[in-house]
Amino acid sequence: MKRMLALAVLVMLGAGLVAVGQDTIKLGAVLPLADITGAQGSKAMQLAVDEINAAGGILGRQLELIVIDDENKPEKGAAAIDLLATVHNVDVFIGGMSSGVHLGQIPTLKKYEKVTVWIGAASSLVEQAVVGLDWYFHVHPWDYLQGASYVEGWAAIAEEYPLIQIEKAFWAYEEGAFGTSSFQGSLVAHADWENIGESFKSALLGGGDYRSVLRHAQEEDPDIFIWVGYGADALPIMEQAREIGFTPALFVGSPPGWPADFGESPLANGVVAYGMWAPSIKDVSPVSQHFWDAYIAAFGEEPATYFAPLGYTNVYVVAEAITRAGTLDREPLIEALEATNYVSPLGETLTFSPSNLIEHQGFSKQKILQWQNGAQQVLWPFEYATALPMYPFTGR
Amino acid sequence: MRLLRTMRRGQWVLLAVTGGIVVLLMLWKPYALIEGIQRGGLYALIALPMALILGVVGIINLAHGEFMMLGAYAAYWFRVSAGVDPLVAMIPALGAFFLVGAVTYWLTIRRALKAPELNQLLLTFGMAMVGAEFANLMWTSQPRKPSLSYVYSSMALGQLRFGTYAFIYTAGAIVLLIVLLAFLRRTRLGRAALAVGQNPRGARLVGIDVNRTYLLIFGLSIALVGAIGAMFLTRHSVFPSAGSPFTMKSFCLIAMSGIGNLPGIVWGGFGLGVAEAIVLSFRGYGGWADVVFFAVLVAVIMARSYRRHAA
Amino acid sequence: MRIQRAIPYVLGAALAGVLPLLTGAYLEQVAGSTMIYLTLALSWDMLLRSGQLGFGTHGFFGLGSYAAVLLFLETDIHPFLSIAFGGLVAGAVATLIGLAVLRLRGMYFAITTLALASIFSVVLRNLPQVSGGPEGKMLPSCIYAGDTTKVYWLILGLALLTIVVSEVFERTRIHLALTSIRNDERVAKTSGVNVFWYLVFVFAVTSAIQGIAGGTYAHVFGFVSPEGSFSANFLLLPLAMALLGGIHSTWGPVLGGLVLGALSEYLKLQIPYGHLLVYGAIIVIVTLFLPQGIRGMLRAAMRRVPSARGEKP
Repeated sequence: MKRMLALAVLVMLGAGLVAVGQDTIKLGAVLPLADITGAQGSKAMQLAVDEINAAGGILGRQLELIVIDDENKPEKGAAAIDLLATVHNVDVFIGGMSSGVHLGQIPTLKKYEKVTVWIGAASSLVEQAVVGLDWYFHVHPWDYLQGASYVEGWAAIAEEYPLIQIEKAFWAYEEGAFGTSSFQGSLVAHADWENIGESFKSALLGGGDYRSVLRHAQEEDPDIFIWVGYGADALPIMEQAREIGFTPALFVGSPPGWPADFGESPLANGVVAYGMWAPSIKDVSPVSQHFWDAYIAAFGEEPATYFAPLGYTNVYVVAEAITRAGTLDREPLIEALEATNYVSPLGETLTFSPSNLIEHQGFSKQKILQWQNGAQQVLWPFEYATALPMYPFTGR
Repeated sequence: MRLLRTMRRGQWVLLAVTGGIVVLLMLWKPYALIEGIQRGGLYALIALPMALILGVVGIINLAHGEFMMLGAYAAYWFRVSAGVDPLVAMIPALGAFFLVGAVTYWLTIRRALKAPELNQLLLTFGMAMVGAEFANLMWTSQPRKPSLSYVYSSMALGQLRFGTYAFIYTAGAIVLLIVLLAFLRRTRLGRAALAVGQNPRGARLVGIDVNRTYLLIFGLSIALVGAIGAMFLTRHSVFPSAGSPFTMKSFCLIAMSGIGNLPGIVWGGFGLGVAEAIVLSFRGYGGWADVVFFAVLVAVIMARSYRRHAA
Repeated sequence: MRIQRAIPYVLGAALAGVLPLLTGAYLEQVAGSTMIYLTLALSWDMLLRSGQLGFGTHGFFGLGSYAAVLLFLETDIHPFLSIAFGGLVAGAVATLIGLAVLRLRGMYFAITTLALASIFSVVLRNLPQVSGGPEGKMLPSCIYAGDTTKVYWLILGLALLTIVVSEVFERTRIHLALTSIRNDERVAKTSGVNVFWYLVFVFAVTSAIQGIAGGTYAHVFGFVSPEGSFSANFLLLPLAMALLGGIHSTWGPVLGGLVLGALSEYLKLQIPYGHLLVYGAIIVIVTLFLPQGIRGMLRAAMRRVPSARGEKP
């Protein structure tokens, strides 16, 4: 009995604190593990680490990934940074999802000034909070960059397909921070459109009745209807639009992730999706194809959120920079990260350049996708296009 | 606790006023009326089983919404694995969730009834966490919803075009109310439940098996809310945290109508649903719909309290 | 005699004060956020001692956060003053509301406070000119520039203050008054207790504490938002802590807060995927087997051990 107890104590202490050897290079990731974004993002990070280690590691050392759950709470996210910095002595911070959690982490990150490469937190409030931090690298496009990117996309599409012309847009956005900031960013970006917006309560927060917003949209008869909400809203919005007979020529959804089996609904056909990634990118990108196959082989499930390829990208970008720098020292590592040129499974090649307020912004482009026959196809950027646009949306 | 109330004269007046409001709304904002009654029906439908537990067993079940969420997942699983329509899956869900409820009662609630009253809050809070996290581990946080063509059926009346399927929640709430009232008035178990709800000690004295009554009522309520989960799934996505907002909404409705007033829950649900829908129908003010929900709630509770003080 | 009785408390406080010198930033951070929740748990229990079940903890917490941040951004006064202002606003709002709703009892009071908390958050969300709208507001810099040790001391001070207030409530006339209100209001009235004003007073004080906790949290993490500052976590976790530790006492919520705070962090590190399942199951099991809470169990255990000083067991 006593021996069992001693063993149990040892295992508990050992599992958390002392991991592999001391000579590993440690990456400390903070993600919401109860959410599919964090769950798959962390798995994809581990996949990248395993691949790199199998190929011999970097600088002759093995990579080690330590993932801590932020439970979607700012105070837990901040404590995770302290844990990674002081107990695990990680070399680089990676990860991230929610802006609300990240805002609470920034004071703690500033204490350690370790190199940080963050894949989440799109709110421009976060950008204001990290102004002037030379060790901070932000991968995800800021909300306003996303808006600007779609402006570019629709202009390119209108040029290529003269049939598709947009003058009037109706935005239905979820009433929380995510929807509102996306809408406000888009208002600035789409200054040449006539924009009308109205908020709704997302099903994620107990809402789920969109009919009054949809009716108001129907009265306006817009060229494009865009809803900004969560995956839980996706299919019910389509069904309720069908119920009241609302079929705009372009029906666009902009959730962070789509529900399982959305493509199986007949109503999904022709729905345009805003996003960074779709499984079909593997047809035009060998890196994406490799990632897709390796992820399925490792975990027996398909990547269902773009945080999976983002997490994979996160590890590779850091690993390649460490290799280039040849050291973990801060200054050379920052310089090496600035020289990043990584062909990512999201399609684009990742480089860092200044955004409105910060020096090190990664991706700036989004993609315009479309659900066609059960799968998301890429319409724009044309270099990754996997299908021609279906136009107009018919709603059946 | 009084589970039943007879109509008083004041209520006839109320009925007449309600009728007047309905007619006015039909002319002014027909969509708000139709959609308000539909969404209010869903609120009431989910609240009724919770009211049954609160009225008879005397427990605020904080895991109520989680049982509904699990019912929705059960229906989803039926749909994916056997192609069963969620509305058909309500029947097996009734049986399965009766067992879930009865076992939950036997293993946990039964033991907590003797403990200080508030322990039941903590107990059901823990159960809600377990339920939500179980669903998360089983199905991840990615929302799920089967695609069903009948849920967007609609009809046109002159200029009006509105969805008809969502009336299933309105009808469901009314049918469930009638069935529950009949059950409580006409059946042995129902009458026993009423007696236990009013005075457990007295009920025991007249030979009612209180523990068995609690078990059956708890099982019945969970069976109902599990089946309602299947019905919920036809028009809503399910995800691990889908249930918790409805726990709160149900609790609000019950408090608004007063414990033991089952018809009040249905009328209150319709009232709140319509009030919300009216706010939503004004463009740009949709964000205030929640305030209206809670303001109506507080106003009704306060008004009732002051009437009681005045009397 | 009185001084002797105070010794363990002073020692405990001193130990808590020097803890950061022995541990690292991580434990300070965890202890700090645990103590925020602990403060909420204790203030919730202080109201419960009058028999009133409050479900609006997160509402006054959020109100305090917003008041503190908005005042700080407007006037640039010392953070401490803005935190105090947060408590003042929460207390004042609670007084006004209390005058109206403290005639309600039991479930009706509970649901009304819950509804009011939701109203606060929706109103702030819908007034973007004042509150920053759904995105909220960010502070240009956090209190003590994020120095974990100083932040720890700040929160420790808040927790100790709350413990002192709670003990004052326990050891003065207030205790008798509140207990009698809880047990039988009519008896309380006939023995000369002004039930209504006592309730208003306790509601205002506990809400002010929640507001101060909110202001502190906002200054530590540097932002407010409707979703974050009014999160139901600030209601449910404190409630669980108080109930698990043992209600109607100072030390029950304190114990419950420390145990649950440590447990949630520990489980998270051991079981990265699915720790909430275990956490919930532990809450269920403890509720079933320790109906009097951790404090009740400890007291029962103490009674069984004969006292060394020969006092009556």
